[in-house]
Amino acid sequence: MAAEKNYYTIDPQGKLSCVKCGVPLIKGKAKFMYLDNGFPVELPVCPVCGFVYVPEELALGKVASVERALEDK
Amino acid sequence: MSQIQERGSTHVYKVNRISKEEIDSMAELCVYEQPPFCNAACPLKLDTRAFLKAAAAGDFKKALQLYEKIAPFPLILSRGCEAPCEAKCRLCELGDGVAIRAVEAAVARFGQQSKLGGIFRTKKKKNVAILGSGLFPLFLAGELEKKAYPITVFCEQEDLAAFLRCEAGFLDEEAFALELKRLKGKDIQFVFSCEFTRGFLEEKRGAFDVLCASESVAKRLFPEAAPVPELMYYEEEKLVSGPARGVMEAAFGAKKAALTVDRLAQNLDPRNTRGQEGPVGSRLYTDLSEAKELRRISGSGADYTPEEAAAEAGRCIQCHCEECLKSCAYLQHYKKHPGLLAREIYNNTQIIMGDHQLNKPMNACSLCGQCSVVCPNGFDMAHVCHLARQNMVSTDKMPLAPHEFALLDMLFSNNEAFLCRPQPGFERCRYVFFPGCQAAAIAPDTVRAAYEDLCARLEGGVALLLGCCGAIGDWAGRCEMEQQTREFLDRELAKLGDPIVIAGCPSCRKELSTHEGLRITGIWDVLLEIGLPAGGHGLDRPAALHDSCGARGEKQTQAAIRAIAAQLGCELVDTPYSGDRAPCCGYGGLAAYANREVAAEMTEKCLERSDAPYISYCMACRDRFARQGRESRHILELVYGTDAGDPPDISEKRKNRLALKYALQRELWGEEAMEKKLDYPLAFTPEARQMMDERMILTEDVIAVIEDFRESGEAIRDEDGLLVARRRVGNATFWVKFACEGEGFLIHRAWSHRMKVVKREG
Repeated sequence: MAAEKNYYTIDPQGKLSCVKCGVPLIKGKAKFMYLDNGFPVELPVCPVCGFVYVPEELALGKVASVERALEDK
Repeated sequence: MSQIQERGSTHVYKVNRISKEEIDSMAELCVYEQPPFCNAACPLKLDTRAFLKAAAAGDFKKALQLYEKIAPFPLILSRGCEAPCEAKCRLCELGDGVAIRAVEAAVARFGQQSKLGGIFRTKKKKNVAILGSGLFPLFLAGELEKKAYPITVFCEQEDLAAFLRCEAGFLDEEAFALELKRLKGKDIQFVFSCEFTRGFLEEKRGAFDVLCASESVAKRLFPEAAPVPELMYYEEEKLVSGPARGVMEAAFGAKKAALTVDRLAQNLDPRNTRGQEGPVGSRLYTDLSEAKELRRISGSGADYTPEEAAAEAGRCIQCHCEECLKSCAYLQHYKKHPGLLAREIYNNTQIIMGDHQLNKPMNACSLCGQCSVVCPNGFDMAHVCHLARQNMVSTDKMPLAPHEFALLDMLFSNNEAFLCRPQPGFERCRYVFFPGCQAAAIAPDTVRAAYEDLCARLEGGVALLLGCCGAIGDWAGRCEMEQQTREFLDRELAKLGDPIVIAGCPSCRKELSTHEGLRITGIWDVLLEIGLPAGGHGLDRPAALHDSCGARGEKQTQAAIRAIAAQLGCELVDTPYSGDRAPCCGYGGLAAYANREVAAEMTEKCLERSDAPYISYCMACRDRFARQGRESRHILELVYGTDAGDPPDISEKRKNRLALKYALQRELWGEEAMEKKLDYPLAFTPEARQMMDERMILTEDVIAVIEDFRESGEAIRDEDGLLVARRRVGNATFWVKFACEGEGFLIHRAWSHRMKVVKREG
């Protein structure tokens, strides 16, 4: 079976941790949703509480440009 | 906090507020694409403007290329042309028109002929025979050669020189030699010493797809027949020919005949799809004010030398209409004339599936209407963009993102920051002061001073209404929101006894004047009537007055502001584009929210008119100029001797409105009203403050995130040891990076995105 497609992948590499759960974030499955569209991605996620982290560079870069493109659809 | 519903992306609605006919009739007003008058008068459609430009630059090779497009034999045409273009030259109105024909003659003689590309061109399959000699057959052969037909000319002469001599005997020897060389260079077959009879013709009819003939040959063979002159065609006889006397008529006849040959070769009716032939009219507007050289260059000899021709061509003022482009930063940014942009924006509204590539330009217009004043035909780009926005909203295709911040600000003004009270001691008032949302946000002290002054000096009570007039909803194309604001304000005004509105902002005045039955005036008119209060003074150095785009067409308002400035002792410097022709500062039409880059160019365009400090009478103008570092004052600051100081950031603008409201509630109406205080310290690094302003993140968005963190404890710790928390507020998720400092928080960074992010199972 072909690997599931992810539009973007960020590996926290053990540098981030969840304050509430006290565990390191891991590369986990997440999904961006906007204007009836969904994009599977892999982002830093807390393995316990499921907190998904969107770093500043991603929010202002790729996410912002995809938002603009979808808004003009 | 109020919220606005985000649109879906897959819904298709069929509401249309704008029709193609409407947009066509609007686009028609733009004369940018109209031909210059010289070009319109030319039956051969020489691109005279480009031709003269090339000649003026001394680029005779390019000029000749342009001329050869209409003249296969340039020396012959330039000698014999009757030059209808010259009579139409706009310079004739001021002095001498450009001697276009003489420049053409010089270009034809001195221009370097471009390399012939005919050898490598693929020839058409259909072949053409031309019978006879004269100017018409010569030009027709030239035209058809350009169209890549295999052509054979049958003539009575014995050689090429004799053939050309009988057609262009008026050329001098040098010109004759040049044209003979040109003719030899063309891919045309010649058969000499022919004798034209019916039999000859019929014989050729079998060998060629289309037959053409000179008028004399046609008449000789078919003395009874008559051609259709506009087609240059003997229909019964299936012979392309017609009347062509003189050089000009022969050249025009050859053009028409070449088109007929084209149609016949494809077995099509020669009457159809011919386009516009011959001279046409033009509606082009030309600004003649910059015309300088009004006298024709007199040549040293009978003909111009190349230098003289270039100088004469240089007198051409290159007729074109760019009145709106000259003054509008928005049109300059998109480098498009409004007729074209209007059509593209209309098409943008009609897309059901696919990219709306014109959303940005549509939302970048400041809707200021300057174009409608500077355009000689009154083209109103604002109307086009406004209708298009309404259309996009009504068809649910308008993205919320470009306008959401401003729309939420409107809701904030009419909810948390809203205040409507009669003057203390009155139940109903004769007047209500409506300063406008930006005045309360940028210069709250000035608003208070003005209100207290009006209360003290006007009879019958002056109520106060702090809120938004609804212009933001209107500019965003959201008719429903505008209507809701209208109804809300009408209800509030009714409670006050329907007083006369004293507007503090020209745009509010304009917006409110659309309310049915509402009486409205400007504070500037009131102040002139009751006299200026004591304590006001003008600037101590000359200043430029920037007219508000909201006051376009309001001569009385513009005059009142000037009168107030004079009474304050202001010395005003003249600037181009003032009064009705004033540009927008970049705030209008929500340009500053939808397209910062264009809005910044608009502000720059306003400021480039003068180096002096700026006085304005719209608080948004004051704010944008001050943000650019220019000394900038609102006229009411000068009237009341207040100084709003440095421009506030987006959070301070909200805070100022709330603080003004609560202070007035407490101090004038004795109400208990206090700003909500945080029960923990919250501080921001200067970098965070600047970042929030640029990214349109409010202090209250940050507070929402911090409060969520305090409640849930959810955050992540990054490698620097700082915490990052987030919260979804309305249609956006806000992220805040901060440090915990004892009980409080120091904010380091903040960012946001509109996409929702969730954990995915599996």
